[in-house]
Amino acid sequence: MRPSHEQPDERPTVTKPKEWAAGLPGVAHALEYSLGQTSVPRTATTLLAINQPDGIDCPGCAWADPTPGHRHRNEYCENGAKHINDEATSRRITSDFFRQYSVTDLNRQSDLWLNQQGRLTEPMVKRPDSDHYEPISWPEALGLLAGELKALDSPDEAAFYTSGRVSNEAAFVLQLFARAFGTNNLPDCSNLCHESSGFALSETLGTGKGTVSLEDIHHADLIFLVGQNPGSNHPRQLSALEEAKNNGARIIAVNPLPEAGLLRFKNPQKPRGIAGRGVRIADRFLQIRSGGDLALFQGLNRLLLEAEDARPGTVLDHDFIRSNTSGFEEFSQHARTIAWEDILAATGLTRTEIEQAGDDVLRSERVIVCWAMGVTQHRHAVPTVREIVNFLLLRGNLGKPGAGACPVRGHSNVQGDRTMGIWERMPDNFLDSLQEEFGFEPPRAHGVDAVNAIRGMRDGHIKVFVGVAGNFVRAAPDSDATEDAIRRCSLTAHISTKLNRSHTVCGRTALILPALGRTERDIQATGEQFVTVEDSMSEVHTSQGRLEPASRTLLSEVAILCRLARLTLDGKANIPWDQFEGDYGLIRDRISRVIAGFQHFNRRVVRPGGIRLPNPVNEGVFPTPAGKALFTRNAWQMPEVPEGHLVLQTLRSHDQWNTIPYTDNDRYRGIHGGRRVVLVNPADLARLALEEGQLVDLVGVWGDGVERRAEGFRTVPYPTAVGCAAAYYPETNVLLPLDSVAETSNQPTAKGIVVRLEPAAGE
Amino acid sequence: MNTVEETIDVAVPVHTAYNQWTQFESFPRFMALVKDVEQLRPNLLRWVVGRGPLRHEFDVEIVEQVPDSHVAWRSLDRRFMHQGKVLFRAAAPERTTVVARLDVSPAGMGLLAHLPGLAPRVVHAELVHFKEFIESVGQEGGSWRGTIRNGHVYPVGPEPARSRVPRWPVG
Repeated sequence: MRPSHEQPDERPTVTKPKEWAAGLPGVAHALEYSLGQTSVPRTATTLLAINQPDGIDCPGCAWADPTPGHRHRNEYCENGAKHINDEATSRRITSDFFRQYSVTDLNRQSDLWLNQQGRLTEPMVKRPDSDHYEPISWPEALGLLAGELKALDSPDEAAFYTSGRVSNEAAFVLQLFARAFGTNNLPDCSNLCHESSGFALSETLGTGKGTVSLEDIHHADLIFLVGQNPGSNHPRQLSALEEAKNNGARIIAVNPLPEAGLLRFKNPQKPRGIAGRGVRIADRFLQIRSGGDLALFQGLNRLLLEAEDARPGTVLDHDFIRSNTSGFEEFSQHARTIAWEDILAATGLTRTEIEQAGDDVLRSERVIVCWAMGVTQHRHAVPTVREIVNFLLLRGNLGKPGAGACPVRGHSNVQGDRTMGIWERMPDNFLDSLQEEFGFEPPRAHGVDAVNAIRGMRDGHIKVFVGVAGNFVRAAPDSDATEDAIRRCSLTAHISTKLNRSHTVCGRTALILPALGRTERDIQATGEQFVTVEDSMSEVHTSQGRLEPASRTLLSEVAILCRLARLTLDGKANIPWDQFEGDYGLIRDRISRVIAGFQHFNRRVVRPGGIRLPNPVNEGVFPTPAGKALFTRNAWQMPEVPEGHLVLQTLRSHDQWNTIPYTDNDRYRGIHGGRRVVLVNPADLARLALEEGQLVDLVGVWGDGVERRAEGFRTVPYPTAVGCAAAYYPETNVLLPLDSVAETSNQPTAKGIVVRLEPAAGE
Repeated sequence: MNTVEETIDVAVPVHTAYNQWTQFESFPRFMALVKDVEQLRPNLLRWVVGRGPLRHEFDVEIVEQVPDSHVAWRSLDRRFMHQGKVLFRAAAPERTTVVARLDVSPAGMGLLAHLPGLAPRVVHAELVHFKEFIESVGQEGGSWRGTIRNGHVYPVGPEPARSRVPRWPVG
């Protein structure tokens, strides 16, 4: 029997998609969910502390906070409120729970059900000969894991996965431990979300981070929102966009789906957001085919070059191009060869639509391009981001206020974890610093990323998998392959706050190591601790929990990692793990000596608002090998879709945080009471001879002979771009082949899965 | 736009006067109206002027800056719309003529735009404050010798200290 989470839903109710986001319903839904999880006092404590200068950094997303003094008393969004109170829940999982449910029982439950059981409260172990988790003491649990690690033939037989919830301090300690242990196997959730952005930006600008701060958004003339859904995934971006609109900005939204948050925003902090019509977000909506963004920017770039031909000296920023870039001539020659018929085929747009967007660009002195996973999760994602950089370079839209590149990241500290060295291929100068500071020789051979970690487990090269936060099994592609790979491990261990599928799909031995959450007080030997995080705009600031911990036996992530390191390394490398555990300030002292830009970290980070890490581009520096920004030539590409097939993009519902659904509803898209739905343009339904509400299987098309099938999805006619379907992940991760990755970045292509829809058996 | 232009002679060399002027965050030390300046980037400043109900906070973009010659800026805030330029001319080896020019939108700058004669008096008074300060201390408290053209920063040297930050790809 298939697990319940793979059974078709009762027929979900479908209503008209919303055309605006937030407003009073956003407040009501946030409070309803929060109060369903925990008490009024705890809800009030968390909500009033979120994103305040001395409060809790909302783990919900990585969007930057306004400058202290400009923050609202309620500086959070519906989804942040839900997320933080999902963690602050009063529900608890104890050892009785695991006596009642076997691992097999639990694995039949849905992701939603697993999450709703509450906070994990004590360490648990599943022994190889058992189907139940049972209690284990902390020393035994960590001793078991350390013993397994020490028994490996090579440190590279272990992998240490990081999710973006992890603080800078825990991330620094983790990478230090992994490298002192002897491996660079540090896969992370970045591998799955913005790896393509980092690769392209590093190559072309010499720095892997976005160049934009909140004030740039506020002062831009034109903002592109490409392949992102701010209404559900980073709703506080809407406040910044509202301010930009008030300052006269225009916004062009580029997406296959007309998401509510792209259309209109009712700011619940303002009277007109409550009682009025709110503010229109997109002045222009380009309903692009999935995977068409490369072609769109190639079309825009061609238009800019041709406008310059027609009016020499008036369109391109020649001084900037001459002084700061290289490769312009080769790029411009190539760009003129991209055929309009190819651009129109890939985008699904008309030439007039692209020309109108081009006119907007010509009228704008300051342009920002924001993008998210609609761009990065395609085979040609890296060339797409490179082409966005070309677009920005042409008119000098980098390095000046109100302009720039803005990859919008999801996890609250996904950027900071990378800054701290969570990357399988850190540059030698970082490893040199680590060696100088700690006196051991870090391994130099590159480690594995997420996809290669799965391959390594599948092939038996990786035997121990340690996950720090997150839900790797459900975040990873090719669910069946990933689950098989994980089950081949001798041991899997997860440092977690709540139950998820990574605990029910596990190695022969499995450990649950329950950790303090972001909302909770963290008291160590030297007193109450805070941690630090870095948002999507390179601002590093503190986060301090306020609630009493869910259980007295919880340890902090830092404490768990320090204890594990001490037990595993047996004194190898002279690293004071005990002192690190007792005083996170000592970790920050080391960070300040190892990582450039973090000088006087402890002193600076406690200032209201924290530290703003400069971006070299905004300092007039393009630290590529050539010392200049690079124009690149990118071949035209689009997803290849055989007749009768669609390009599927996987996405979150509005009531979902990463892999965890909070309910079965997606009210912005009008889906209620079910998640196994596939959104298809009515014209495609007609072309494929499918009915509304018909039960279909989604069948992936990939050339490896493996049938990837997601069974029992209801068709929903939806105004998505023609030829493009959408369905929720993680249910559809089963369709994404492990080998279907972006060129060079190795990022899974979750927005470009070619599928056919087969009527389900018995329908 | 209403244009205000005020001039003052300062008894220091031109590079001293200019260098001091690049130290924007020091302005509250000697300017009466300026309460705080934060230099977010070489070409982006956040100013706080006035106090109480007349307090204004606004961002300013430096669009042109040439050492020992001039600094030109524009406000990025519609509520405080203006643009300005300060020019430095060597009047003698130890004397500098400083010219401050402010173009104020009728819709911007609050009282400065609406009370006739106020803007010239304020600008002149702040120039006097600058003169008194730099002449009394005798030398600049720091310098930034980079150039800004059309809003873009051209630093001195290939790698200014602020650009030394982690650069590896972020996923």
